[in-house]
Amino acid sequence: MTSPFRSTSTYTSVVSLAGALLWSLLFLNFASGQVSGTPGQIQYPSEEGIPVRDPLVKAKCGSCHTSDDRGNMKRISWERATPEGWELALQRMILLADVDLTPEEKGRLIQYLSTHHGLAPEEAKGVRYDVERRIHEETSIPKAVMTSCGKCHNFARVLSWRRSVDDWKELSQAHTLRYNAPLSEEAIAFLAKMAPLRTPEWAAWSARTPNKTLAGRWLVTASVQGRVRYFGEMQLESSGADGEFNTRATLQSVADGSTVIRTGHGMMYGGYAWRGFSKGGNATSSAPDDLSNEAREVMTSTPDELSAEGRWFWGQYQELGFDVKIQRASSDATLLGIDRALLKTGLQSDRIRLLGDRFPAQISKADLDFGPGVSVRRIVSRSASEIIAEVNVALNAPLGKRKVAFRRSVLPGALAVYDHADYIKVTPESAIAAFGNETRNRGYQQYEAIAYQNGPDGKRHTDDDVELGPIDVTWSMKIFYESEGNGTDPVGSVSPTGLFIPAGNNPNNNFDVWVLADAKTEKDKEGKPLEGKAYLVVTVPVYIFGGRRYVREFDRWIDDGPARPVQR
Amino acid sequence: MKSTLLSFFAAAAALLLIPDSASAHHGWAAFKSEPASLITFKGTVKEFHFMNPHSVLEFEVKDDKGQIQSWEGELTSNTNLAPRGWTAASIEEKEVITIIGYPAKSGAHAMRVTKIVLSNGKELKVGLER
Repeated sequence: MTSPFRSTSTYTSVVSLAGALLWSLLFLNFASGQVSGTPGQIQYPSEEGIPVRDPLVKAKCGSCHTSDDRGNMKRISWERATPEGWELALQRMILLADVDLTPEEKGRLIQYLSTHHGLAPEEAKGVRYDVERRIHEETSIPKAVMTSCGKCHNFARVLSWRRSVDDWKELSQAHTLRYNAPLSEEAIAFLAKMAPLRTPEWAAWSARTPNKTLAGRWLVTASVQGRVRYFGEMQLESSGADGEFNTRATLQSVADGSTVIRTGHGMMYGGYAWRGFSKGGNATSSAPDDLSNEAREVMTSTPDELSAEGRWFWGQYQELGFDVKIQRASSDATLLGIDRALLKTGLQSDRIRLLGDRFPAQISKADLDFGPGVSVRRIVSRSASEIIAEVNVALNAPLGKRKVAFRRSVLPGALAVYDHADYIKVTPESAIAAFGNETRNRGYQQYEAIAYQNGPDGKRHTDDDVELGPIDVTWSMKIFYESEGNGTDPVGSVSPTGLFIPAGNNPNNNFDVWVLADAKTEKDKEGKPLEGKAYLVVTVPVYIFGGRRYVREFDRWIDDGPARPVQR
Repeated sequence: MKSTLLSFFAAAAALLLIPDSASAHHGWAAFKSEPASLITFKGTVKEFHFMNPHSVLEFEVKDDKGQIQSWEGELTSNTNLAPRGWTAASIEEKEVITIIGYPAKSGAHAMRVTKIVLSNGKELKVGLER
C-alpha cells in the first residue's frame, strides 16, 4: 500500500514541526504519554476510552503507549483526529521517539486511526477549509483559545482533534514542557466542551456499516478559479492494497474542449475523507498553473457516499488547484453543468451547451427547464454527454439565480438571468503572494472577476446583491499609493487568465499592489467599463528579525529558529 | 478565498518588521502622526473596500484649482471595524463625506483615516478618534 500521505512534506508544516521538535527533543520522556503522578505509576483517565484493536498500532506504539485490560492505549484511546492530525502525530513520533515506520505502515496506521479514532463527518466539516488548504477567515475564535493556541496554530488545527478532558490537560502539560506555553484553564474548559472525546455525531458515525464499494465510475465537475469549468469522469479501481484505489480522471474544458487526463491513487479514510494524489500526462510543463501538475486530492463525501467534493491542489503554498465535485454515475441521465453562468435578458436564439451523462437518444424541448422567461426554441444537437439547445430570454424574465434541469436531474442555482451588472468583485479581495528564493518557489495568486447586480435595495455590497458569476475582464495592476504609470516590473504581472506571477527572486523587497479587472463588455452608467480591484501583498519568502528566521508557510509566518545561512 | 484572520494579521504585522528592506509595503509608520498634521477633506466616495488587512476608502476631492484628485484612505481591517458597526455598505459610492486623518509622509495622495462623517452627519467610529 502506498499511503496518500507519502509526500506531504510541503503540505504539513515541516518548518513548524522541525522547530517544535527541537524543543520537544529536550523532553522526550513526555512522549510516553504519562498522564501524571509518580514516575513508573501509570494512571489512566477516568473517561471511557476507545479501545485499540489494530495489531500494528499496538506493535508500533505500544512500548510507550501502554494498554490497559480493556484495550485502551495511553493517550491514543482518549483522542480522535482527522487523517492529517494523525499524520502529524506519527511524524512527530518518528522524529521524536525513533518510531520506525515504513511508508506502507504509516499509511495503514493513519487509515486505522482516522477510521476508529477519527472525526465524524459533521465534526470534520468545520475544519475542511484547513485540510483543503483554503484561505479562510476564522471569525469566532474564543479569546481563551486565541491566547493559548493562536500564536502557533489556526483554530482549525485545534479543532482537528477531539480529546477527553484529561487529554486536553495532558496536551497543556506537554505544551508547558515543550514550549513553555500551557493552555489556560479557560481554554481547557472550552475545548473540553467544544471538542470532547464522546459526541452523538461520533457515536452515530462509528456505529454505521461502512460502504466499501467505491470502485467504479464517478462523474466529475471541476472548476479552476479564473477559468471555465471542466466536466468528465473518474474511474476508481482497487489497487489491491486494502482500501486504496487507483484513479483515472478525464476532464474536458467546457470552453475549448481540451482534455486533461489525470492518474493517481487515493484512499477514503473513515468512510468519508478522500485523500489522494494525481497528475496529468503532460506533467512536464513548467507552467505553475498547468492543470497537469501533480496535485494532492482532498475531498469529503456525503454520508450516503454517493458524492464528494473538495479540492485538488499544488504549489509552494498550495495556492493553485481545482475545486472538484464527484458523484457516482448512475443509469439515469445526469445533468452536470452548462457552459455559462449568465444569460442576459433579451437574448434570442442563443445556443447553450448542457454537459452531462447518459443523455437519451430521444429528447424534446420539454425535457429542458431553464425556468420562467427562458424558453427553449429548439434542440440543435445531442449526444450521450452533451445537448446543445437554442433559447430565447424574455426581456422581462425574472432576474437572479435559478435552477436548470434535464428531466429529473436538477442543478440548483446553475444560471443567473440578468439585465446588467452593477459591479465587479475581484476574488480573493485581499491576498498574499511571494517572491521565490534559492530554496522556495514563488507563491502565485489566481484571481477571478465576479459580476454582481444590486439587489432590490439598489445598494451594492448588501445581503440582497445577486452574484451573477465570472465575467471576462482585462487584468492589470498598479503599486499601492504610487503615482500612475509607475512600473510594476519589480513586482510581477497578471496573466490574461488572472494569474499573478511574482517577478522571480526578489529577496529584499515586498510590495502592496492593486490587482485591477476591467470588464470587456459590461459598463457602468457613464459608459465606462466596470472595474474591480483586489489588494495583494507580495512578500519575501523568508526574513530575519531579531536574530530569528521567519519563513512563510501556507498562510502565516513560522518562526524557524535562530537565523542561519540559507541552505543551498 | 478569504484570509485566515489570525494568520493574515500575523503576516501583515510581520511584514512591517522586515529590517533593511527597500520595502514598498507600508505600515502606520508611513503616515504622519503629529496632531498638527491632521487633514480634513470633503470628498466624493469612489469605492470602499471592506477587507483585511486594511480597509481602503477611495475618494475624490477638488484641489485649489478645481482639479479632481484621487485619494486613498486607509483604515483598520474589516474584522476590527465590524464590531463598531461597520459593513461593506457603510459608505456608499458617490456619497459626499468628510474624511479626517493623517497624510502619507511620502506626499502620495494617501492618508490614515481617523474619522469619517457621512453626509447625514453620522460619524463612523474607526477607533482612532481624538
